[in-house]
Amino acid sequence: MGLKKERKIDISPAEKSSRSSGRNFEGLSQQLQSATSSERRWAARDLAIYPDAVEPLLHALRSETEHPVAIAIFDSLRQIGGETVVNGLLPLLSVEDAFKRNAAIEVLQEMPEGVALHIIELLNDRDSDVRIFAIDILQQLAHPQTPEWLLSVLKDETHINVIATAVDRLAEVGTQEMIPELKALKLRFPNEPYLDFAVQTAIRRIKGD
Amino acid sequence: MKTILIVDDAVTVRMYHRQLMEDLGFAVEEAVNGVEALEKGLQHAFDLFLVDVNMPKMDGYRLVQEMRRIPELQAVPVIMISTEESELDKEKAYLAGANFYVVKPAKVDELQTYAMLLAGKVT
Repeated sequence: MGLKKERKIDISPAEKSSRSSGRNFEGLSQQLQSATSSERRWAARDLAIYPDAVEPLLHALRSETEHPVAIAIFDSLRQIGGETVVNGLLPLLSVEDAFKRNAAIEVLQEMPEGVALHIIELLNDRDSDVRIFAIDILQQLAHPQTPEWLLSVLKDETHINVIATAVDRLAEVGTQEMIPELKALKLRFPNEPYLDFAVQTAIRRIKGD
Repeated sequence: MKTILIVDDAVTVRMYHRQLMEDLGFAVEEAVNGVEALEKGLQHAFDLFLVDVNMPKMDGYRLVQEMRRIPELQAVPVIMISTEESELDKEKAYLAGANFYVVKPAKVDELQTYAMLLAGKVT
């Protein structure tokens, strides 16, 4: 195994000075609103050790436009974890900002227990995009009920792209018993070449061909 | 031989689009997100990028924005493919720098025709 090269982070004297002052919860929470993006980024990073930082971090995320700062906020929320973080990130599945939406999905994928409480609700959301993002979360979510949730999509869903996303995921986690439900899709959607391809691929992968 | 980079985090979508493009005689490479696509794009001269919108690490909009800033990738045509079908989504894709926007599931004829046109593969 190769040695990992230590990553050097250049910190300017101004940044050093801003990092050495007000490094308590209150000070850092205030610095999340700073006009200087590096100060906001360091504040977000350093707040990761405070469980009470979820609210200020989520609040800052709503208006944050700089990606490096938003990444630091998401990283800290990931480290803190818990139900408040899950509840705070779920609304991001509906935002227009693709960066925040995808970052939220990545963090939620690491919170199986918290997400499990909401998955049925998400899979029944009025917005088909939110239903697709819910399946994207399931893609990496290490939860024993994932195949069952995906199977419910095959049975109950009517939107072609939501079903196609579920079929793609089932190719990874599906079992032999699910093959009849997959085959049934070909009868329900006889003129959809992509779905036909996805079903055939999923069945082949489930069978291990 | 003209070469296309398919950028999508869903393995089945990549396989399907690969088949459609190979049927037209294109060589195909794949990337699973925008970061990998930029790396591959700088290593190899592609004739067309086929880009999904929602991907981890770097989404399709940002990928195309980055491509338009990088001299080596600035002129490479991009077809964006997404499940999102609103006019606003299309507008965002074109503003980012996409040349064409297709809603999933893509119509085979439409996708193949635009791929040939944009990659300069006239038969």
